[in-house]
Amino acid sequence: MRSIRLEGVSKSFHGEEILENLSLTIPSGKFFALLGPSGSGKTTILRLIAGLEQADQGRIFLGDQDITLLPPYERRINTVFQHYALFPHMNVFDNVAYGLKLHGLPAAQIKQKVLRILEVVHLGRHVNKPIQQLSGGQQQRVALARAIVNEPDVILLDEPLAALDLKLRERMLVELIDLQDEFQTTFVYVTHDQSEALTVADQMAIMNYDGEIEQIGTPKQIYEFPTSSFVAHFVGTTNIFEGILRFGDNQARIEIEGLGFFEVAIPQEKKWLCNGCVLLMGLRPEKIEISKNVMEGFANHLEGNVESIVYHGRSTQYNVRVENGLLIQVFEQNEEHFPREEIDYEDTVHLYWQKENVTLLER
Amino acid sequence: MEQLGNQWERDFCFFASLPALLWQVFFLVVPLAMTVYFGFVSEQTGALTFENYRAVFDGAHFCIIARSVITALLTGLVSLVVAYPVAYFLALRAGRWKGLLLFLAMVPFWTNFLVQIYAWFFMLERKGVINSLLGILGLPPLVTTNSIGAVFLVMVYCYLPFMLMSLYIALERFDERLLEASSDLGATPWQTFLRVTLPLSMPGIRTGLLLVLIPAFGEYAIPALLGGSHYMFVGSLISYYALVARDVGMGAAFTGISGVVLLGVALAIYSFLRLIFGKTRVEGEE
Amino acid sequence: MKAQWSRSAVMMPLVVVCVYLFLYTPILVMAVFSFNSNPLGYQWQGFTTAWYGELFSSSEVWDALKNSLVVAVASASIAISMATALVLSLKRSILSRAFFAFYANLAVPEIVLAVGLLGLFFFFSISLGITTLIAVHTLLGLGYAIPLIYARFESIDRRFVEASLDLGATRGQTVRYVVFPLLMPALLASALLVFIVSFDDFILSFFCAGGSTQTLPMYIFSMLRADVAPIISALSVVLLVSSSAVILLFSSLQMRKLGGMS
Repeated sequence: MRSIRLEGVSKSFHGEEILENLSLTIPSGKFFALLGPSGSGKTTILRLIAGLEQADQGRIFLGDQDITLLPPYERRINTVFQHYALFPHMNVFDNVAYGLKLHGLPAAQIKQKVLRILEVVHLGRHVNKPIQQLSGGQQQRVALARAIVNEPDVILLDEPLAALDLKLRERMLVELIDLQDEFQTTFVYVTHDQSEALTVADQMAIMNYDGEIEQIGTPKQIYEFPTSSFVAHFVGTTNIFEGILRFGDNQARIEIEGLGFFEVAIPQEKKWLCNGCVLLMGLRPEKIEISKNVMEGFANHLEGNVESIVYHGRSTQYNVRVENGLLIQVFEQNEEHFPREEIDYEDTVHLYWQKENVTLLER
Repeated sequence: MEQLGNQWERDFCFFASLPALLWQVFFLVVPLAMTVYFGFVSEQTGALTFENYRAVFDGAHFCIIARSVITALLTGLVSLVVAYPVAYFLALRAGRWKGLLLFLAMVPFWTNFLVQIYAWFFMLERKGVINSLLGILGLPPLVTTNSIGAVFLVMVYCYLPFMLMSLYIALERFDERLLEASSDLGATPWQTFLRVTLPLSMPGIRTGLLLVLIPAFGEYAIPALLGGSHYMFVGSLISYYALVARDVGMGAAFTGISGVVLLGVALAIYSFLRLIFGKTRVEGEE
Repeated sequence: MKAQWSRSAVMMPLVVVCVYLFLYTPILVMAVFSFNSNPLGYQWQGFTTAWYGELFSSSEVWDALKNSLVVAVASASIAISMATALVLSLKRSILSRAFFAFYANLAVPEIVLAVGLLGLFFFFSISLGITTLIAVHTLLGLGYAIPLIYARFESIDRRFVEASLDLGATRGQTVRYVVFPLLMPALLASALLVFIVSFDDFILSFFCAGGSTQTLPMYIFSMLRADVAPIISALSVVLLVSSSAVILLFSSLQMRKLGGMS
């Protein structure tokens, strides 16, 4: 297993710069997700790693090997394409065996490997079928098998589940995790769907619209401790408040216009925080307690009116209008069939949260 | 249209479809049937006989058929090899030149082929362009308008656009992502061509070959104008029997046999192509 | 896929250029020589447009042209009409199988057809002339028109017909107001195709036109057979230019239509 390292990579298309001086290290043997909006350049990065595009500047390493100038067929990297790209004139067996045949493996060995991988992806019975007879999910698994059977150093997945319906996607995500676990190959998974990324990744990177990497970390780090409001907004939902930081009697507070002072906990790393500087406070909807009654034990409190309610099955979302006109989103998990408290439209409610549960952001 | 409403509509449709069907029967089926029939009729006595067919099976006739078959096959093969890179380039690599190159390719396609033959007169004649160029280089005049070589060359020239069009249409709808997938899985460009591009362009190759083989086999004008009097092809002989010798029996028999040979060759090629590009079956599975 | 690492990036354009040169050199040489004042050989003597003058004043050429045009227009019209009637009338189940039969018109080598038809006319004592020409070219035309029109017919969304019927039109009205207009592009394309095929046709015409009627290709052939006459070069250039003009017109119309639709 080897890692992927991009150093100072730049790439333009038709005069438009997609990636500029990008550096990224993808650790070996892990499930790495590259998350970003459409047009952020994440697919470009994938294609550069695969060798299907050439970088204008910079270098790409597979482990210690400089693969920048190597053509795709000389890299021990295989891709699972978004629309599968299965060869229509071959059946399942031939599609999966394609890479093995090219490497001149003996027929018996090829047969053994192909059958084994097809069993792993639960397609053993379909080995002789022409690919046109397979469903979307089955084709996707053939594309996966075709890549994995070559035992490459890295497997690249370009939004492979985009064409599948929800239930199938959920199942496939779990299968992908199991596969990566079993083979311990480096998986690089590109997607614009944050829930996919959060589900599968050991490590993930978020890209913004300008082709830059905003943050790298584990899913939990990214979700709970975003380093910018872009990340905070892109991954999950966040309420963002702008205010001024005030130090006083051993407690830091943020002063928000029209709402007052709220206690915040300052984490170690945020050295740039100073008395009187402008900052953003991010507060995730699920971190807020909502009640018609007054509750004790919370550092922060807001009052407001319920403007709209959205039922999500597992949770209910309340959009609450507070004093300074902001609309705050609150998620409540529907823990009980018969909740003790029913919150309705236009009710006056109290919002509570703890000071540790916010994120402080510069921009 | 389906599920017709009333009797009047049904009658109308019946009569509306008749002209084409009748035309087909009278002008295609009947002449072909007659051709087969008259092969069995003796020219002299008018009685049913095998003598025409027996005469066809002698050496001279088969020599002519063989010559036509070989020329047609070679023409097909050469035009395939020459046209393929061009069609590939046009369909997949041309970029902004595509429109212009396509237009330029269409012009010979729509040019009357007698004009095309005539154009080669200037090149191939004793005192023509090619020989003059050879003369400048100090070489003797090598080409002539009365040779099998000339026939072959001009046949390739005339049929090349047909092959080009068939291949282009087949390659046009080619999914380039398959090329990427193949390269990603470890195939060099040449391997990708042999294992992916070529098999998937097979329908175009088949159509092109058929479009060239069948007319080339029965070609009349090119041998008549360029073949000289030494070499006869199927087309020339059929025309001879029909117009000069006026031997209906022999003409019909020869036409019939030639047709059968052509059919056989076409089927053989079709099956051959099918054979080399089949799919792998794993033993013991369903 | 970028081809920086393969030699074909250089070789292929080279091959393409060579093939295009191969295709165009004879034609261009002929075009140049159509202005050659030397009537006999292929040596260049001097520039002249005399042959074009001779061409435009030759009654034989005009007759042949007239015949070709008449036959082409007639066969195109008849073939398209019959083909449309067939496609619209036959029941789906029969049609999908029947239309394969019409491929035979193109699959059978023309000379076999020609000789067979000659025999047919002779057997039924039908005298050869413009009528037989039109009949024969129409047969060829059916082979081109029916697959084209049928393909277009099949691709028309059934839901248009259903919508029309739902809104109160009879089948006849549906055909007239919905199906027929949708079929138009294929009809026009087929008509043009049959026209060109008929105009260019040689073998069938050669055998089935009889002694007194001559189409343009037949005229060219007879002149070539006899000896080289530079009038043929002039005629060839005129034909070349006109067919190029037609293609240019057609492609620019298509470009315009595509541009207008986007």
